Amino acid sequence: MKKRFWLLISLFIILAMVMAACQSTAAEEPTVAPEEEAEPMEEAPAEEEAMVDEACMGAQPGDEITLLYQWSGVEEEKLNEILAPFVEQCGVVLKPESTRDQALLDTKVQAGTPPDVAFWNVAQLEQYKDVLVPMDTLGAHGENYADFFKDPGTIDGVWLGLPVKADIKTIIWYSPAVFEAKGYTVPTTWDELDALVESMVANGDVPWSLGMESGDATGWTGSDFIQDILLVQQGPEYVMGLISGEIAYNDAGVKQAYETYGKWAKDPVYTVGGAEGTLSTGFNDAILKVFSDPPEAMMVKQSGFAGGTVAEQYPDMVYGEDYDFFPIPGAQGLQGGADWLMVFNDTPAVRALISYLSSLEGGANWAKAGFDLSPNMGADGNYTDAALIKKGAALANTTGFTPDLGDTIPGGFGSAEWTALVDYVNGGDLDAGLDAVAQAQLEALQ
Amino acid sequence: MKKNAVSKRLSNLPVHVILILLCAIWLIPTIGLLITSFRPVQDINTTGWWTIFAKPQGYEEYQTYCASCHGEDGSLISSADLSDADLVQDYRRSITLTPSLSREIDGEPHMGDLPVPDEDTTASIAAYMRKLSGIDTTTKFTLDNYIDALTGYRGNKTYRADCASGTQSLDLHCDIRDLANPRGMGRAFLNSLAVTIPSTIFPILISSFAAYAFSWMDFKGRQWLFALLVGLQVVPLQMTLIPVSRLFAQLGLNGTFQGIWLFHTGFGLPYAIYMMRNFLGSLPRELFESAYLDGASHWTAFTKLAIPLSVPALASLAIFQFLWVWNDLLVALVFLGGEHPVLTYQIGNMVTSLGSGWHLLTAAAFISMILPMIIFFALQKYFVRGLLAGSVKG
Repeated sequence: MKKRFWLLISLFIILAMVMAACQSTAAEEPTVAPEEEAEPMEEAPAEEEAMVDEACMGAQPGDEITLLYQWSGVEEEKLNEILAPFVEQCGVVLKPESTRDQALLDTKVQAGTPPDVAFWNVAQLEQYKDVLVPMDTLGAHGENYADFFKDPGTIDGVWLGLPVKADIKTIIWYSPAVFEAKGYTVPTTWDELDALVESMVANGDVPWSLGMESGDATGWTGSDFIQDILLVQQGPEYVMGLISGEIAYNDAGVKQAYETYGKWAKDPVYTVGGAEGTLSTGFNDAILKVFSDPPEAMMVKQSGFAGGTVAEQYPDMVYGEDYDFFPIPGAQGLQGGADWLMVFNDTPAVRALISYLSSLEGGANWAKAGFDLSPNMGADGNYTDAALIKKGAALANTTGFTPDLGDTIPGGFGSAEWTALVDYVNGGDLDAGLDAVAQAQLEALQ
Repeated sequence: MKKNAVSKRLSNLPVHVILILLCAIWLIPTIGLLITSFRPVQDINTTGWWTIFAKPQGYEEYQTYCASCHGEDGSLISSADLSDADLVQDYRRSITLTPSLSREIDGEPHMGDLPVPDEDTTASIAAYMRKLSGIDTTTKFTLDNYIDALTGYRGNKTYRADCASGTQSLDLHCDIRDLANPRGMGRAFLNSLAVTIPSTIFPILISSFAAYAFSWMDFKGRQWLFALLVGLQVVPLQMTLIPVSRLFAQLGLNGTFQGIWLFHTGFGLPYAIYMMRNFLGSLPRELFESAYLDGASHWTAFTKLAIPLSVPALASLAIFQFLWVWNDLLVALVFLGGEHPVLTYQIGNMVTSLGSGWHLLTAAAFISMILPMIIFFALQKYFVRGLLAGSVKG
């Protein structure tokens, strides 16, 4: 009995010691962080201080900004790189938190402890329009953004969201080496693309890799493609009409786009694995199928991030020789996604952050870091990555920019769109599917 | 006698087979995960973990079509040295290799008497040539996944490759300090310890006091209070997130270790008290009565009798509470978040929003698994005893 007692005591002592050791690590942390942040301040020469104060909007070194965003991994690293000059200049301490769980944002807002700044989707601007601080109050440099970028972030006439990161979706990835060896040329009109697809089929090649499996979100690659086809067949005004509700989703134009897509997505001659392949191949695998050896397909329609996926899997491949992209021929305007910065608490440090990110310098730094594209005009000409230069040029020259339908129309519209698409590819009735989406569209926009 | 033993063994056979089968079903995925965690990402994406014993892709094809002229290591023909990366660079995919194989060299077909291989075979040969020439430097096994996960490396290559070329990101030093990188699993491991150990000790300590009082001290309303505490177990944790978060915000406890200790202690207590009270209550009454007769105070009875006798119960309670806190994501996410990232939080952040970087999950999973496994095996004896708690006599 005595032995047991001592065993227990020693167990407790050991645990307590480990605990104490860990507590001291925990206690160290707060002292470490300000030290790191304060260092650059000391280095700043005295004469620059006045200028520093002005740019920092009166934020004091050590002031904290809490951030909440969905980025992680490489994405987070690039954001840190972009914010580094701001942090160094003002000595502000960033307290970021990363999650893809929107419930966390909702919980925090409801609990009355929202993050100072959240980077989230455009739908949250509508959701939180009553608690967000308008961009004009914060002194954002609106003149650095094209109107078609500010519009989706403007709710009831108030500019609430700053578009910080954009990615264009209206592009097709292919292998220039394979195209050259097989004698295919990059199409410049939709008819040429159609002819190219048919000639690939005639040669025994599979033109498309349309796999769109993505867990709960299965279908988003397909709905992206359909929106691109709408831009080709109907134009950007039509897409904006769908977003505002002027055009119902079961309109003949939408049906035409679905049928154009369905012809390819349901047939094993046109896409890897036919309808089953489209539904069950993961979107990342679908990208790699075009660049595997021997290639399983010739082209994949995917957003800008696909280049990174290829680079990771095939480190020996060279952008421009082994993988490249071309804009969807004939598309009037671009489709793209943007991440929106929204502000819950108006503090000097937050104002300084907004001022920095919306300035031409902020846009330039965003471009240099290569974190996709920046809608900020300062980004123009500052991209260093070859693929981003090409995408940035496309973005800078576009006349229209339509946000993703599913991201923009709130409520259950996005998932209704995916369900209809999955059903259609699966052989379901298209009219019934589109009616259901139109119903969701009507409910969401009322 | 002997016949009896044989037939007994035979009758046990189905049980054994089923047990072994169950073990296999249970273990194989874990073994697969373990092997995968040591493979380079390119291999994980293309082949299953069970192919690790196979020859590298294209070895057979290379032997059949190329080895007789170019030699095993590709360097037999000096004008066409297949171990030379610069040469192979131009023929590293079937799309460029096929024309070369089908053309004529000095009036002779490239392949001699052999037929020109088809596209798939050529692709395999090209893959093998990439390995031979050193264009493809991946090895069969690598520690990169673990290193990348521990240091919090985020990029398209590996921590070691980036450090070797000096292109590492701003917050990496390429030395031992990177183990404490706030984005890595190394730091997260320490944070998890800092959360878990107090969150295990506090409820156990408090619950053993409370359980002693409920079992051996007489006070008014004892039964009612105990019933109330047991009833508290039905309160779902998720329901309290918002109110507690509000309270913590007013007290300044959000994002602090103290806050999360308090939360886990609070939610661990009802069950801990219930279990300890049942255990202590089943100890023989005579034991305590004779102690009191001999003049022992409650404190003496508690430390000298109750605690030593309930070590098995304490240990099994500790294991349960430890595992629950260690594996908890929800509470850590809401109350600690990014300030002090714990393992579960960091695992979720290994993957980008578009699903790249998921190969690090395999290594990250084993890093987070290692401590619970050590604890479990070390305390296994008590764990089993705890299960038998009711039937053991002091």
